Formats: sequence, structure tokens, C-alpha cells
Amino acid sequence: MARKDEEYLIQKDLYARLQRGQIDRRQFLTRMMGVGLGIAGVSTALAGCAAPTAPSAAPAASSGDAAPAAADAVAERPLTPTFYQWIEDLHPSIPAVNANFPGLNYQIAPVEGFGIERFVAEAKNSESTWDVYVGMTPFVEMTALIEAGVIEPWDDYIPQDVLDDLIPSIREECTVDGKLYSWPFLLDVVGMGWNAEMTEQAGIATIPSTWTEYLEAAKLIQSSGAALYGCTFDSHGWRSLVPYTHSMSPDVYTPEGLFDFTSEPAIAGLKLMKEMMALSHPDILLEGATDGGVNGTPDEVAFAARKVAYYTKYFNAPLRMAANWPDPSKLMMGGLPKFENGAGSTVFWTTGSCLFKHGKNKEKAAEYIKSLTYDMQIWQDSIAGTAVAHPGQLPPYQSIYDGWAASRPDWLPDFVGLITGQLPKARAITNHAFGLTQFQIAKPEWEKYLNGSEPDPMIAMQGAWDAVQAEIAKTKA
Amino acid sequence: MTTLSSSVKPKATPSLRKRLRLDALGNWIFLLPGLFFFFGYMVYPILRVLWMSFTDYRYLSREPAQWVGLQNYVNAFADPLVYDGLSRAAQFTLMFLPGTIILPLLLAVLVDRVEHRTIATIYRVILLIPAVIPGPMVFVLWKWLYNFQIGPINYILVEVLHIFTPQTAPQWLGGTSLTLPAVAIFEVWWGLGYHTMFFLAGLAAIPKELYEAARIDGANEWKLLWHVTIPRLRPILAVLVVLRFGSAMAVIDEYLIFGGFNRASPTYTWTVYMYDLAFKIGDWLQGYAAAIGWIGAFSMMFVVAGLLYIFRPQDG
Repeated sequence: MARKDEEYLIQKDLYARLQRGQIDRRQFLTRMMGVGLGIAGVSTALAGCAAPTAPSAAPAASSGDAAPAAADAVAERPLTPTFYQWIEDLHPSIPAVNANFPGLNYQIAPVEGFGIERFVAEAKNSESTWDVYVGMTPFVEMTALIEAGVIEPWDDYIPQDVLDDLIPSIREECTVDGKLYSWPFLLDVVGMGWNAEMTEQAGIATIPSTWTEYLEAAKLIQSSGAALYGCTFDSHGWRSLVPYTHSMSPDVYTPEGLFDFTSEPAIAGLKLMKEMMALSHPDILLEGATDGGVNGTPDEVAFAARKVAYYTKYFNAPLRMAANWPDPSKLMMGGLPKFENGAGSTVFWTTGSCLFKHGKNKEKAAEYIKSLTYDMQIWQDSIAGTAVAHPGQLPPYQSIYDGWAASRPDWLPDFVGLITGQLPKARAITNHAFGLTQFQIAKPEWEKYLNGSEPDPMIAMQGAWDAVQAEIAKTKA
Repeated sequence: MTTLSSSVKPKATPSLRKRLRLDALGNWIFLLPGLFFFFGYMVYPILRVLWMSFTDYRYLSREPAQWVGLQNYVNAFADPLVYDGLSRAAQFTLMFLPGTIILPLLLAVLVDRVEHRTIATIYRVILLIPAVIPGPMVFVLWKWLYNFQIGPINYILVEVLHIFTPQTAPQWLGGTSLTLPAVAIFEVWWGLGYHTMFFLAGLAAIPKELYEAARIDGANEWKLLWHVTIPRLRPILAVLVVLRFGSAMAVIDEYLIFGGFNRASPTYTWTVYMYDLAFKIGDWLQGYAAAIGWIGAFSMMFVVAGLLYIFRPQDG
């Protein structure tokens, strides 16, 4: 912040204290001189002396007004949101929204790979450099931020109409103990993508709606020579095991909020992964190339290199990979297939905003986030793509979909309708301190079944459950 | 004379003392920045981590840390991931260390024999190229080289030499048994020029007369290397072995980049486990992670003491 701004804030704060009678004129002038504002202090004091009657005319009211005024003066740093880097990279229209908020101190968060240590460190000192963080994924870090006392709920600041407009499953994802801790922004849903050039070459005319059809189509791709591999997935649990499990049933969470690896739907999901592996590239289980192995995964390489036809992941992935094809328009997308007797659900997660407990400008933050999340240019860019990015992330508000249903924009692709149709049945991963890490801890165990070192999927999944429990026991100990 | 001398002495002594005191004070003033950084950035963090290792410090917890004595150490000694982690780090060190000592030594001996100054300089520059490439570029390069599907190494093995098929091609990175050797090869390549320069500096200090005398006595090239060159390079060998041993055992960034957080991966060593515990899992058990860190550090110090003994000066 500029020196002049600081001087102005100090001056306003001291003047407010002088008015409230917390300090006398001598103290006021001494403190003003102490911060190098001697002349300004004299002039402010003189100005205050010139018109002292207005506040004293209604003492009760004035003292009541003076406190917020002083608080405002202290809080009068500009609204300071901080964004996770990739959000800015993928959504180039954000600066246009920022332009509507003069003085906005827009920043990029000092986080890497969901690191939140800086936020926690500041909260421990009851302070926050920022007012709002745009980049929180509830199942990844929301529980940790709540438990560490970093964030507070939006409920006192979010307008009721916005709250009512949230798609119920998304609202549930962002709520803990009845309070909304994440104001959702970008919706990612796991669905299916495929290379139409390959499916046409293999003579496949229908879209697989069940896993049986999906596997048959993938086999046909390979046998026809349309592609080297039939299908692929990302081996990280929340991107494959969980959506496949949800497609059978999303009711696979324990009362404490952990994924039940030993549940029947989870076993069905694991078996499906093994069937897919037989039609996929051999490196499918390996870790990725970036972000601690989480991104740049082998499935992305195979889909981008047009070695595989069918792909299940959040839509951002096939969209980004298809951008490397000679003809990206050959990318088709649709809802996740289901088991014949399954619920037909999938998994979704939102990336949203959290309000720092020790931040300031909370009303302004709500105003800003509302403006950001309802900006139609952001949604058009996200869904239809721009020259710089094509994230394929969707809005969290029902009214936006209703608007598109009433009057369909010409840029709106078909897959959005398919996804929104699946959304009421979809479910987010339950919030828990081990929400994300349970899948990292358990992965080597369930992979024993996938790589053949354990023939029984139930034993492998029991191992996965035990590994997570052992880690939780360390925390409790 | 007595009066004179006595009148001179009191004048000279305080001024000298004063000057000495001032000199000493000046020395301390000059030392202050160094001491500040030494205590602020070395001593305090070490003591802080030592203290943490005796507490149940959890970064995400709002409760103050409680003293738990040796409990973290007891838990760590019963934790199989600690042993696995140390064992994996030792395996990597065993793969990396010989390559990072022997290869540069042999290269240095060869380059040292090049008498044409321009050619010798060209060799040195070529050798130093990997050392001056920025880290991120090196990682991107080797990730591409090792890529299972689109990497040139597998392309040559599958498409050119037909040694493997697309289904059986080697999976170099991402947590397979090949990952540690693959990372070791990449590390040896990266440090080759840098380590060779160490040895070249050492070789330049060996008097040529020693070689001439040995040759007159009938020593062949192998004997020259074994009985003249290597003994004379012992101090450099000691420095390199100790430094590289420490850095190999404590590698973390390469493991995170090439292997991720899969606990079954050979790259999930004690350093990755420590990071995982301290910054990712549950309440971030930093007290426990600190104890694992000290166990790892003491294990390394134990080996370093052995290495220093092996490479102790033996002349005279």
C-alpha cells in the first residue's frame, strides 16, 4: 500500500478516536506527529474543531456510528482477493470483472499444490494479508482450513437469493455443520470424452451409456485398429475409483465421512478399472509428471497423442488434451456411463472462494464473488473456450442453466445438457480431514488388485481401508 | 629517566589497550551479520526442529503443542515406512554415488591428458553444459526422454530397435522399479561436468614429475592411476563422497517430480514421507515428521563419520 494511503488511514483512525473521546487533543497531535503527520494533524484537528456540533447533537447515535466508522477506517484497505494461479490462467475474463471494482487489490495466492501453510500461519497470528481466497476445493482442504481457524462461513454475507440459487448437491458439498464455508465458483464433473475420428473409423455410431457398452466399444476400437488403446482413466482415486463407484451408488461414505473402500459399489468400481486396464496403455497406473504426480498423468499423454479413443475424467482434461489434435472438433463429450443396475451418478467438485476469518472487507468480498460467479462472459469462455484456454468448467447456479434452457446460446455445446442432467444424481466426495489424502494413502493397496499381486479385490480394498485407518490412528495418537 | 619513562608508560598503555579493545570490538561488529545469519538461519531452526520432535506439534491444530518426550521417536522406530524410506534412499545412494565419483574421475583423467589447449577447453565447456542448464529445463528434458508413450528412449527401443513392443516397453518413471536407476542416471548426467571440474582441479595440483618418476620405475597407466592419481586426489574424493552422499540420501524434489506421493513407489523415501506427514496428511504431524527427520539425519551422520574415517589423510 502507498505511504499516502497509510497516512490517510492512520489520520482517519486517530481522528475517529478523538471524536469518540478515547484520546484527547494533545494525545491526538502527539501521535500524529509521531507518525510524521504533524501538519496534517493540526489541520485535521482544526477541521474537527470547526464543526464539532453535528456528532454531539445526537450523542447516542453518533457514538453508535463512530464505532463502525473507526472500524471502516481500520478496515479501509482495498478488497484483497487472492486467486490460485491456474484459475487466472484458465479464465481470461476475470480481469474484466475486476475492472468493475476500482481499487481492487487482485493477487495470486502463494500456494502450490494446494499448500495452505501461509494462510494457517497468518491465522495463528490472528491476521490475514488477504480477504478472500479463490481456489479452495472443499474435499481437498476445506476441513483443514476450518479446523485451523483460518476461514469463516459466508452465511452472514452471501445474499439469500444466491444461496437459494446454488444447485442443492453443490450447496451440500460446500456446507459444514449447516454453514456455507465455500462459495462455489467453478464446477468440475467427471464424465466421458471420446475421439470421434476413431469411433467413426471403428464404425461405432452410438454413445455408450453403460459400462458394458463402454468396454465393448473400447474393444472394438482396438480390434478395428482405429487406435492403439481402447480406453483410459486417471489412476488417482478421486478421478477414477470414486466416479466409477458413484456410478453404481454414491452412498459409500461412512458416518464420519470417509470413503468406504470395502463397500460393494467400491469393489465394483475397482473391478471395472481392471477391465479397462486390459484395454489401455500399460503405464496407466503410473504417477503424473507434475504437481507431485497428480497432473500430467499418462492418460492425458495417451489421449493427447491420439493413442486412445475413450476417456473418463473431469471435462477440463479431454478439452485440454484435444487442443493438441489436428482437429479438436473431433472431441465428443457426454455423461459418465453407468452399471446396468447402478445409480448412474458421478462425482463432482467445485473450486470456490473462502472468507478469511481475519480478513477485512467481507461485505465487499461477497459483492465481488457474486459478480465474478455470475459473469456470463466467464461461463461462455469456460464452456466454449478461448484462444488461450478451454477449461470446460461449469457454473454452480441453477438460474444460469434455466436461462440457457429457456434461450439456448449458439455457443453452448450439447455436453452441458448431458452433464446437468446427471448433476442431480451426482455427489461430491464428503468433506473430511483425509478427504483427498485417503485416496493417496490407499492407492498402493487397491492397486495390488489392479497389477495382479492380489487376486481378490476385497482383500485389496480391505488393505486400502486399513492403511487409511492406520494413518488416522497416528493423528489421533 | 624514571620520571620520564613512568610518565610515558601510562600514556602509551591505555591507548594501546583502547586500540586493541576497539579492534576487538570492530572484529565483533564485522562478525555480527554472519553470526546473525548463522544463529537465525542455522542454529535456531535446528533447535526448533529438535524441540518439535519432542512434542505433538500439529501445524493445523489450534491447541498448543504438548511435550511428549521420546514418544515420536518410539513411534518412528515402529513405523515400517521409516525403514522403507531409509532403505529406498540408501538404494538410490548406492546407485548414484559410484556413477557420480568414478565416471567424472575417469573423464577428468582423460581430459587432463589432452595437450591441445583449445580442444581441452572445448571438452571442458561441453562437460559443463548440463551443469549450467536451469533445473526446470533439465527436469522437463528428462521427463520427455523417459516418457513411456512419447519419449525418444522408448521410441528407439520399440520402433527402431524392436527390442520391446508398446505393451512391454520399459516404464522408466512414475514409481516403477526402474525409477530409481532412471533418476540416478539423470543425476549423474546433470552433475558430470561439475564433478569432473573438481577432479581436474585436483589433477592440476599433482606434480608431473611424480608420473615421470613412476614411469621410469616401470609403472603402467593402471598403476599410475591407482598409486599416484587416486592417492593424490583423496582429499577431493573425500569432499565429493561426503557431499554427494548427504545430498543423495536427502533427495526430495526429484522424487516428488518423478515419483509423486505413491507410497509403494521406490521414490517414496524418508524425506518424502516426512514432507507428506508435515504438510499434507491429517493435522500435519510436524512433531512426528521432525523426529523422522532427526532419525534420518543421525543415520546419515553415522555414515559420514565412517566415510571421513575411510578418506582420512594418510600422508605422514
